[in-house]
Amino acid sequence: MTAVRGRLLTLAMLAPALAFVLGVIAYPLATALWFSLTSVQIGGAGHFVGLANYRFLFGLGTYGDAVRNTVVYTAGSTVLKALLGMLLAFALARPFPGRRLVYAALFLPFIFPADVGAVAWYYLFSNVHGGINYLIQRDVAWLGNGPLAMASLVTVNVWHGTALFTVLSLAALRSVPRHVLDAAITDGARWYQRFLRILLPYLVPGLVLAALLSVLGTFGDFVFVHLITGGGPANSTSIVGTMAFQVALIDGDLGLASAISFSVIPVYLVGLAYLLRLVGRR
Amino acid sequence: MSVLKRLAGGAFLTVFLIFSLAPFLWMIAASLKPGDEQLIFGNPWWAASPDWSNYTKLLVSPLFLRWALNTASVLLGTLALSLGASLLAAYALAHRRVPRARLLVVSLFATYLLPSGLLWLPMIKVVQALGVADSPLALVVTYPGLIIPFATWVLWNFFRDLPPDLVEQARLEGAGELRILIQVLVPVALPVLAAVALFGIAITFNDYLYGLAFLSAPDAQTLISEVAHTSVDLNDTGFTFAAILLGVAPIAVFCAFFADTYAKGLGTGVID
Repeated sequence: MTAVRGRLLTLAMLAPALAFVLGVIAYPLATALWFSLTSVQIGGAGHFVGLANYRFLFGLGTYGDAVRNTVVYTAGSTVLKALLGMLLAFALARPFPGRRLVYAALFLPFIFPADVGAVAWYYLFSNVHGGINYLIQRDVAWLGNGPLAMASLVTVNVWHGTALFTVLSLAALRSVPRHVLDAAITDGARWYQRFLRILLPYLVPGLVLAALLSVLGTFGDFVFVHLITGGGPANSTSIVGTMAFQVALIDGDLGLASAISFSVIPVYLVGLAYLLRLVGRR
Repeated sequence: MSVLKRLAGGAFLTVFLIFSLAPFLWMIAASLKPGDEQLIFGNPWWAASPDWSNYTKLLVSPLFLRWALNTASVLLGTLALSLGASLLAAYALAHRRVPRARLLVVSLFATYLLPSGLLWLPMIKVVQALGVADSPLALVVTYPGLIIPFATWVLWNFFRDLPPDLVEQARLEGAGELRILIQVLVPVALPVLAAVALFGIAITFNDYLYGLAFLSAPDAQTLISEVAHTSVDLNDTGFTFAAILLGVAPIAVFCAFFADTYAKGLGTGVID
């Protein structure tokens, strides 16, 4: 009797968490997968079409462009964020007056509502009385052509996300035992030797974690691209997330939109495998 | 060499600091100008003669009060549900007999990386089925799904590393499970709970897609979803940014001082 009650209590304690994960993660995920295999439209039930959506998608030029743009956007942002974030962590590692304030200021863009940041950046880039053009007294159309618009988006992504690399690198740096570093200095190790042989091994887990979160976050980004360029000009910054949104809400083709969203699942699975290996050590 | 290196470090920090804060300077200037003046003329980085009317208008605007109330409900509701559900689950998984507990925790954890872009479309139906469409409650029922998997993982790791005597002793003294959780475990878990709460706030603040997909009536918006509800075309730039700076920025600035707490939580199981 008590054993049964005990098990029921355990179940009751797990129930709220499981209800949320099943209801607002697992069920929508399964539905999205099912949608991607049907011809469902807004306001119209569809029927099973097998892999037709995916076949159509892989032959679609605009989808190829979106995937290419997504990769450029993700790779460009992540590499820059990793470099800048690591450098900032080194600069912040030693105490100096006002360090707490500087650290908080650097973290602020990460925790500040992303859509508000996106709107502000849109007006900073604007070529009609935009903040940046006002500063440099020039008339540059920052969002006017493909490469420049992509560079602008990468800039915003770096603005928002570098702090993730900074805080995780700094946490990793703090895990380096002081005596190990001191021993290396007394042994006359050069700065690059100290970096490669001592610091880097400690830094790697933090950097890999930040990189995984950054890649998955940027690959699935929507807010910055949707608000700042809307995928334009002429689809040159269209990414997977914005394309899925447009196909769903403007074309009303929920089946195809779900296939677009689902086509990135391999990236998620690879990221997940890495993450599980990273935490598997525990 | 060392002096040179420190100078270079300081210069780099300064440049990046300016880059990080520039958009906020622009927002402050916008909030101190009437209407859309910020987008039309004058120095967009500075309000030479600050006009505080946006802020005084906010305090008597029923819409602002409604949005602020919605924002507070979403934030508090999301955090309460997420922390409550995660605490219960993590405690059961760490200190009660659960078959294949580790597998369950890891499967839960695995879902936290799922891009919300995969879920929003079917979620519209879930939200409608629950009868919370076009209400801030739509966000309160959906955000915890993005927070609980990670929060449970962090708390499970923490609970597992506690000395087992802590829970055993309380059980021997006849304390009920809920009491052990609240009176014994929660007090020692406060820093971890702070990290989890920060994670939840970051999720809530950085969401755009769910707000856009689930809320359309002006009354249903939060301060955050309202800004870019339809597009970047603002009706009243000054008012919009004043609302954000008064209603949301203080929370964000407060949280920004806990970057280390956030990193420690995020690095659970990865950075020792």
